[in-house]
Amino acid sequence: MFPGTTRARLKSFLSRAPVIFTILFVTAVLAFLAVSHLVTRFRLQEKALGRHLYEQGQAEYASAEPGRAIDDFRAALTYNRDDFQYQLSLARALRDSGRTPEAKTYLMNLWERAPEDGAVNLALGRLAAREGATSEAIHYYHNATYGIWDSDAEIHRRNAEFELINYLLQQNALPQAQGELITLSASLPADSELEMPIARMFDRAGDLERALSEYQSILRHDRQNATALAGAGQAALQLHRYGTAEKYLGEAAKLDPQNMPLQQSLESARLILQADPFSRGLSDAERNSRVRDAFNRAGQLLGECAKLHGVSFQDSDQTEDSFSADLISLQKSWSDLKPKLRQPSALAEPDTADSIMTLVFQIEEGTQNKCGPPTARDRALLQLALNPQGADQ
Amino acid sequence: MESREDIGAELALLPAEASASSVRQRKTLGDTFREDRFFLMLAVFIGIFSGLAVVCFRLAIDWSRIALLGPVLQPHNLRLIIAPVLVSLLLAVLVIHVFPGARGSGVNQTKSALYIFNGFIPFKTAVGKFLTAALAIGAGHSLGPEDPSLQIGASLASALGRRMNLSRERLRLLAPVGAAAGLAAAFNAPISAVLFVIEEVIGRWSAGILGSVVLSAISSVVVVRWFLGSQPLFRIPPITLARPSELIAYALLGLIGGIASVIFAKGITYFRPRFRAMPRWSQYFQPAAAGLIIGLIGYFGAPQVMGAGYEFMDQAMHDQFTWQMLAVLAGLKILATTLSFTSGTPGGMFAPTLFIGAMLGGAVRGAVGAAEIHLWGVHLAGSTGTYALVGMGVLFAGFLRAPMTSVFMVLEVSGEYSIIVPVIVANTVAYVLSRSLQPVPIFDLLSRQDGLDLPSMEEQREENILRIEDAMRPIEGPVLNSTETVLEANQRIQPSPPGTNTFLVRLRPGGWKSVTREVLQQSLNEGKSEMNLGSILSGSPLPILHPDLPLDVALRYVNQTELVPVVSRADFGKLEGVISSDAVLSKYRQ
Repeated sequence: MFPGTTRARLKSFLSRAPVIFTILFVTAVLAFLAVSHLVTRFRLQEKALGRHLYEQGQAEYASAEPGRAIDDFRAALTYNRDDFQYQLSLARALRDSGRTPEAKTYLMNLWERAPEDGAVNLALGRLAAREGATSEAIHYYHNATYGIWDSDAEIHRRNAEFELINYLLQQNALPQAQGELITLSASLPADSELEMPIARMFDRAGDLERALSEYQSILRHDRQNATALAGAGQAALQLHRYGTAEKYLGEAAKLDPQNMPLQQSLESARLILQADPFSRGLSDAERNSRVRDAFNRAGQLLGECAKLHGVSFQDSDQTEDSFSADLISLQKSWSDLKPKLRQPSALAEPDTADSIMTLVFQIEEGTQNKCGPPTARDRALLQLALNPQGADQ
Repeated sequence: MESREDIGAELALLPAEASASSVRQRKTLGDTFREDRFFLMLAVFIGIFSGLAVVCFRLAIDWSRIALLGPVLQPHNLRLIIAPVLVSLLLAVLVIHVFPGARGSGVNQTKSALYIFNGFIPFKTAVGKFLTAALAIGAGHSLGPEDPSLQIGASLASALGRRMNLSRERLRLLAPVGAAAGLAAAFNAPISAVLFVIEEVIGRWSAGILGSVVLSAISSVVVVRWFLGSQPLFRIPPITLARPSELIAYALLGLIGGIASVIFAKGITYFRPRFRAMPRWSQYFQPAAAGLIIGLIGYFGAPQVMGAGYEFMDQAMHDQFTWQMLAVLAGLKILATTLSFTSGTPGGMFAPTLFIGAMLGGAVRGAVGAAEIHLWGVHLAGSTGTYALVGMGVLFAGFLRAPMTSVFMVLEVSGEYSIIVPVIVANTVAYVLSRSLQPVPIFDLLSRQDGLDLPSMEEQREENILRIEDAMRPIEGPVLNSTETVLEANQRIQPSPPGTNTFLVRLRPGGWKSVTREVLQQSLNEGKSEMNLGSILSGSPLPILHPDLPLDVALRYVNQTELVPVVSRADFGKLEGVISSDAVLSKYRQ
């Protein structure tokens, strides 16, 4: 192909070091480009495969098959081992299938990479809650509440806070739960969707005052909210604000007449109000009648109780136990007041009515749970005893 | 493993004019580039090409695994049985008929190329290794990609060197340069690769080649990181060593790892010659039989043992298995790797070694933790990941018997130098135990099974090196000074024993010469009695030696003169003794 001398020259030229390295350099660049193309294509394929496996795992996880989801998430991670979302999903699946130590290791790795990540902290909080590590759970839930979220940060933070409060309520850590609730309720916008769970949680946390306040807040812009009416009524009833309770429960019962517990609460409130001689606006006759009815019921209760326990009011010196002595003492007080009831002028004096009702409340409380099941009227009087001014609140 | 005949057959392909043309080449290149600079530049290109080849090799393994075993390795999948069996049948045909050089791991073949075949490794071997190892590992054989990468790198380097028409000496050295590049790329760890090549391929410390080996290793790692990222092979968990008492647990790991290493090595060296001694027709089915057993292991619940298993090492390091499961996986991996390797399936032993070590490390951590041995004061602060990492080093030291590489490998992979004390403790225990139970290292045993006797770093370490101080003797008679007169010198030598004929003369300002009785007597007869001794001595000064030099250095000089002075390194005028050819030879005869 080439004449001998040309060939020799070419060979000599090609054997020069600069020429050799130029050829090597060009070859390396070409090989680099080829491998680069190959790697890019392969990585894309791997990513697509990883994504497919991840989505498959997500579907399995959603259909409560965390075991199968784990395999898919793990496989997805082999194709994209640093993908945060894949790792988080695997950790969640591990946690939900009870493989707590593995889940924790994964989550701790993620936490070390991104200690401010809300989702990771929330998952760790749930894990700690599951393990019963309350202080750890609170720590991570708090981190989630103040952490960084990829999207809808406000919603995620709020949900994390709700979850924390629920957890505290389950743990019966009521003061801590109340503290969290107060903080959360202060930051929430006026939205019944958000205020309702807050009100319920206050209710569960035993902060009835704030629960009632939250329900009333809902009712201010949604007067026909049956749930809020019922919640407010129940809270008021427990706060012994019978007038308020009757009002909310009555309105709730109209909206939901089939709700039997609601009806029972309403009935209780009404009975209390009907038994209350201190309500404003009552006529003297009506008030006297209520006082007399309560007094007579108290006397009847004493008699039934004495019979049940074999206590003789005639032979009062024989008694030895304190309950019998209390009964005799109450009977004596009752008998002392009885003549005053026959005098209409005596009942007109507020002090007499008050002292009679005080004795009635003492008898109801003294015989409670010891003299057979209380009647509805007894329960009403007992409730009234807790807050004699409750009818007007 | 490639036998002497296999390699010999391929050696015939070496161009006959290679050495002649190398002379021509040296002349041409000498105008512009000195050969050593040329060699260093070439090492960089070898690193680049080896890196590119290893990137492709890793993609090929991943691709074949997805294609053959599916994207998810799950038990009770028939693919796990069918793929290894069918692929193994194909591999057997390829290895027996097309790529005989692709058999085995590749470490000993590279070493053979260096010491027996002048650095010649056919390019066909690189192609064969690439294809067959990728298929074998992808199909689930319990083998790794590192040793094949080493051989691919060495083969590419050899092919490139031949194209460059390098001298035989340079060509010979190219094999380890390529080997370091291939291994560094596969491991993403250049220091470990360089050390391993020095410990296991070159078999001795050689400063002359170190620069090229390092350059090629670094450039190949840069290429691999360019394409595959710089993240380490494993996600390293936090490493802690809270109390020195925990070192007891690491020593226990070294003990268990040492025993496991010996079992692993014994298994391979026992079965390999037996399988190879079986009838030739059975060689076609041995890889398939191994593949079937490994497939069954995977099918019935432990697919983790299939392939290199890096992702499962990563999982083990992050507490994804119970310690009982880790122990089972370590045992099954020993079995699976023994079967894969001894059946002649191409692939390496590095990854399985690391796998076994990681599983054992995790298992020891779990077992010691479960047994609450902290009651004796051993508080385990280290995570499972820490123990798994140390376990990898333990098996490396115990099984591959590369103690330096084992320490640096763990450090390089973890990037955590605080782990060095546990690593050294555990590795030392494993290494010492393994050496006492199995004196010959695995690579040396394999080469001996192939009828090759290759130099070994461990043997070199064992050698009792003779030094000049072992053969030198005190000077008999006086040491003369060049400033004294011939008469004085003659008087001083008179009391010397009659057999002493040669005397050393200390020159001023420095140096040594010797003089005989006859010369002194002749000078006196010639009337030179008042002349300085230095003025009558002709010739150049004597060579000098130091006591710590190897004895073979003396061999170069003892034939030039009857006595060679052995002097202090701090004061060349201070005579420590003398050495003669008789003394050297008699020492060697001992």
